[in-house]
Amino acid sequence: MSPLTTAAPGAPVVDLDLADLRRDPYPAYAELRRTAPLAWVPSVGRHLLTRYEDIVHAEKLPEVFSSREEGSLLLRTVGRNMLREDDPDHRRLRSAAEPPTRPRQVRDLWAGAFERTAHELLDKIADRGEADLIADFAEPLVAANLALVLGLRDASAEDIAGWSRAMMAGNSNYADDPDIWLRAEQATGAIEDAVARAAEAARREPDGSVISSMVHAAEPVELTEIQNNVKVIIGGGVNEPRDVFGVGAWALLNRPEVLDRVLAEPSSWKRVFEETARWVSPIGMYPRQLTQDYEIAGLTLPAGSRVALVIASGNRDESVFERADEFDLDRPHRPHLAFGGGPHFCMGAWVARHEVSAIAWPLIFDRLKGLRLADGATASDSDSAAGRMDGWVFRGPTSLNVTWHAAQAA
Amino acid sequence: MPTVIFQLPDGTERKVTAASGTVLMQAAVSNGVQGIVAECGGNASCATCHVYVDADRSELVGGPNDVEDEMLDFTAAERRPTSRLSCQVELSDALDGLVVHVPEEQV
Ligand code: FES
Repeated sequence: MSPLTTAAPGAPVVDLDLADLRRDPYPAYAELRRTAPLAWVPSVGRHLLTRYEDIVHAEKLPEVFSSREEGSLLLRTVGRNMLREDDPDHRRLRSAAEPPTRPRQVRDLWAGAFERTAHELLDKIADRGEADLIADFAEPLVAANLALVLGLRDASAEDIAGWSRAMMAGNSNYADDPDIWLRAEQATGAIEDAVARAAEAARREPDGSVISSMVHAAEPVELTEIQNNVKVIIGGGVNEPRDVFGVGAWALLNRPEVLDRVLAEPSSWKRVFEETARWVSPIGMYPRQLTQDYEIAGLTLPAGSRVALVIASGNRDESVFERADEFDLDRPHRPHLAFGGGPHFCMGAWVARHEVSAIAWPLIFDRLKGLRLADGATASDSDSAAGRMDGWVFRGPTSLNVTWHAAQAA
Repeated sequence: MPTVIFQLPDGTERKVTAASGTVLMQAAVSNGVQGIVAECGGNASCATCHVYVDADRSELVGGPNDVEDEMLDFTAAERRPTSRLSCQVELSDALDGLVVHVPEEQV
């Protein structure tokens, strides 16, 4: 099925400026939900599906809304991989890779090391009294954790974070910038080498990691498949937990009364995680391609149509979440869409929940006494001395500058 | 065609009939039973299709498989001896009239 790169007959065409979307996509999404819940957006080259119910509906029909989108930027960046496959190939790869990311494995195999790494990073900055919590803490933490879970023993946190950044830039290179493609290719080449070495080692000596699990899978997985899937995991595995960490810390530092409540009631970190992921989803949208003609949101899309499921918009749908633009820990429980749905439900969900809500957030507030945003930040700022929120395909604070009472730090 | 009764946290009941061989989660979702979220679509990776099987049929329904057992430790509502992931329970004629309780929260 070749992809259709034009609007479906009758679909409203809405021009959206990518730079505006990066700055703040939410006003545009609100307008789309109200006036054109399925709209062709030329700058994105897809129909944007923006209402909660329609997105959930599409997620539950993987045989119609196929993950095999041809010509996707992700395929160009990393090659064929499980995110862009449907079952049974998707299932085979996912089953091979998944066991080390299940919650009990996270708790029993990885949590201790995650915590040690977090303490080491905090040891380095505790006396300084100021830091960028993204660059100095969250990114190196999640990158080191990811190297461990994947089984990339020779890769440093900097390697992983750098590779992730280069691939993510490729994956959202809608402007087709050649420099971005070049950097992405260098990163994927380096990952292929590192994975080949790790797979060789794991073949001799299994170590419970994702690479090891794929090497020893019941249904055989080829080295190229391991390499490509590790690339995809490095892409998401760094920026998603890093961004949830950043957004949640940002939200709490801007709301001292909420923060006090959370600190008094540590079980609520879980709620903080889920509400943060709803409020600003680290992945804003993902593509699907129709395998057959299908009617959704009042329009019939022809087979081959390209659709973006805009989960960032679904998570702000007022018909599901009252005062959806607000960060509110007490809102009635409704499932958010941040992890995606159906067979592609985020494989890193349990790793991210643990490293962010059980380790990273509680530790920074425990060890960095008097933690607050750097001067100049106010509750509504998305662009201030404390940092800037950026992105629409992926979204989070690019920096989070904070200060604390260094003398009292543990 | 077995019939299953879902008891919802607000006290209401939903009666659903599905073909033998249908997965309990699927029977709930395709009939719009509130409270069975099933984010992962039945792949035992999300733990949001948690149910409590009524005690007197629990033995007949059976216990969780290995992966399910692990996920059940991480459900949003407390795990109980009769907890199952509804996506791992296959309906059969022997289960006609089964009552399951939907927990207060799934996420
Ligand atoms: S539907 Fe996800 S675990 Fe059952």
